[in-house]
Order: sequence, then C-alpha cells, then structure tokens
Amino acid sequence: MPESFETDFWKDAERRKVWDDIVPGEPRKTIPYTLTLEAIQKYCRAVGDLHPLYFDEAYAKATPWGGLIAPPSIHILLMFSCTPADDWMRSPGTINAGQSWSYNIPARPGDTITLAARALDKFIKKDRLFVIHDNVFFNQNAQVICSGRGWTIRPI
Amino acid sequence: MNDAYDALKQDDIVNGPKFQVSRESIRAFCEASLDFNPLHWDDEYMKSSFGRTRFGGIIMHGMTNFGLITRMLTDWLYPLGGVHRRLETRWKTPVRPGDVIRPSARITGKKRTQRSRWVTLEIEVKNQRGETVAVGEAMAEFPPQGR
Repeated sequence: MPESFETDFWKDAERRKVWDDIVPGEPRKTIPYTLTLEAIQKYCRAVGDLHPLYFDEAYAKATPWGGLIAPPSIHILLMFSCTPADDWMRSPGTINAGQSWSYNIPARPGDTITLAARALDKFIKKDRLFVIHDNVFFNQNAQVICSGRGWTIRPI
Repeated sequence: MNDAYDALKQDDIVNGPKFQVSRESIRAFCEASLDFNPLHWDDEYMKSSFGRTRFGGIIMHGMTNFGLITRMLTDWLYPLGGVHRRLETRWKTPVRPGDVIRPSARITGKKRTQRSRWVTLEIEVKNQRGETVAVGEAMAEFPPQGR
C-alpha cells in the first residue's frame, strides 16, 4: 500500500464532490502510480489467482509475454492508486452497479501508470442517483493498458 | 497453435473454481485493491439504510466477482493462446461472508474479422444457493499468428 494512502474514507468526505457537483465531461484529478510486483501479487492472492505469469519470473520469460505481467483486472487496484483522497469514487456508500473494461496490453511490474478519467454522464433512475465514469490507464510509454466505464449509485 | 480456436463450439462451458467468502477474504480485498469503502468493513454503518436498500451487514466488493471472472477467463485462455479482451458485468445480489461463489461462462458466438478471430461469452456468478450474484459478457481474441 502506498505510504500516503488514507484508508479512512470518512476523513476527506467533506471535500468530495456529491452528485450535484459532478459535471459530466470534466476530468477527475489523477496521480501517477508506480505498480510494484508486491502490489500485483497482493491483489492476485486476494482473488486466489496464483498463475505463474504473475509469480514466476523464469516461467513468464519463456512465454510470449516475455516477463512477469499483472492480470487484466489489476485496474481494480489502479483506480484507487491513481486517484487522490478527495476523489468522489471514495465517498462512503458509493455502490458499484456494474463495469465494462477493454484490455489492450498488460500492465507490468515497474510500470508508471497514469489515468485519464472523468464522469461521462449522470442521471436519476428508480429514485437513485447514478454516475457513469470512464477511465483510460496508460503506461510510461503512453500505451493504453485498458479502458473502461463504471456505473455507480451515489450516496445521498 | 491456434487450432484451439477451431475446436471451440457454441455453448461450450468454462467453469471457474469456487471461492469461499469470509470477513478475512473481504478485508484482504480491501488491502489489495485499496477500496476501503465502509460497505466492506463497517458493521455499524451497514445497519443503516441506503435509499431503498438495506444490506444488514458488510458485503463483498462487487469487483471481487470481476477479479474471479477474470481469473477464470485467463486460466482458460492462456494455454489456448487466446487473449482476454473485454469484460462487462452487472451485480445482481450482494455477496456476504459465509457465501461460496463460483463463476462460469458459456460461448455465445465466434466471429472472424478482417484481422483476427473472436469468441463472445456469457458470464454468470452463482452462490451456494444457486442464486445469480453477477452476470456479464466477455470477449476473447485468438490472433491468427498466436500471441
């Protein structure tokens, strides 16, 4: 976990945008993040994924990938690693209603990851406040790692 | 190496391993994903109501489903020379400590495009009571020259 990461999501709650403040199309603040092998493997263990492409350097080198990689779903970690404590995705009570992600190339240990992110749309449906966010993760060579959208129900 | 693509058929099934959900597994996902939303660790908070929804206790991250589906797909694709290209999911039922969930996929179609070959899949995650907790669609590529 990055040393500065605040795990108490209540602490910055007052500084975060509520549904009314979110402007579709406006970029979210993001921060570059260096992905470590330790972080990749910690994520893999949490979903029981011990594939040698993520753990065994010698094995990974002999595959077409040419070395250790992160699993495609590493964006789950990157979403919180690449956004600051006052990002509205951390608002307590944010409910994830669904996601769609497209994968281009794998993230690798040592990559410096950047995120381009924004709210894309917001609406009221069945008495709930929704926001759609879209996101693109890049590596240090400006190559797209993955891109995706998420639907969240915002806390009231 | 990609003869594997030709062998795939509509309605072929892919099964992932079962996953036992516990307070510890949810906490480990908090630590690994950095998603410390109190939905996933704060019992007192979860006694409150969320609009029309009342959970009554902590719930698993929806994205754990996403990670387990991804694991199932990559475990299936890597040996076949396929590449996981897309996953879309929607959560249907909250998952709680004590639940056992298992993802599965069914091939819904094969498509050759100008430069590549693709498989589309329908995804489902069920709990130990047979309830569907997540659904989705996925897409995998089988590049003609292998990967």
